[in-house]
Amino acid sequence: MAASARSQVISLYRNMLKESQKFPSYNYRTYALRRVRDAFRDNRNVEDPKIVDTLMEEGRQTLALIQRQVSIGKMYAAQKIVVE
Amino acid sequence: MAARVLQQCVRSFARPSLRLCSGNLALRAAAAPVTALHRPLSSVADSRRTRWLDQSRISSVSVLCRHYGDLPPLTLETIKDRVMYVLKLYDKINPEKLQTGSHFMKDLGLDSLDQVEIIMAMEDEFGFEIPDAEAEKLMTPEEIVQYIADKKDVYE
Repeated sequence: MAASARSQVISLYRNMLKESQKFPSYNYRTYALRRVRDAFRDNRNVEDPKIVDTLMEEGRQTLALIQRQVSIGKMYAAQKIVVE
Repeated sequence: MAARVLQQCVRSFARPSLRLCSGNLALRAAAAPVTALHRPLSSVADSRRTRWLDQSRISSVSVLCRHYGDLPPLTLETIKDRVMYVLKLYDKINPEKLQTGSHFMKDLGLDSLDQVEIIMAMEDEFGFEIPDAEAEKLMTPEEIVQYIADKKDVYE
């Protein structure tokens, strides 16, 4: 993988984790963090630049989706649940 | 009548202090028959009250000082302890293998994604952001300690 693509992947990973941490709801937050980690780990051995590109595009869209859902979640904040 | 109103005022001022209340009871008893005596007695009560207020101010200041205390000042030692503590809690690191000089990827068998998560944990622990370009260079606990010390202006 080219160095630029590599740093892009890492910064996307960072951004996704950071945005996922902002979920106000415990369930969505833990799910998003786990899902992001698992997805990046599943595809860690992908070498083909085309597949990497499509995955990156998917990741960017998911990042936008996480950001949207976080702001929606903030509008409808609920009480904290017992595990928190 | 005026004396009674004054007593009421003094009493309401002195309510927090038990000692002053008893003082004021004596004052009321003394002031009821002779209104002329009221003024010197109330000045005594006033001086008592101010003394009591002074004492309370001093003690509350000392208590407040304790509350105002920020976190203990950062030293290289405390930064190192906190960094190592965070690393030990990270589930993919074996705490027995962890040394201050051990390389995350070469010695501890982590990958770049784990390293990102470690840096994020450090950001949470120390409460500031580490930019991407700097974050990817931090590969050993020692380097993290040095970086945080530089950012927080901590020197030996």
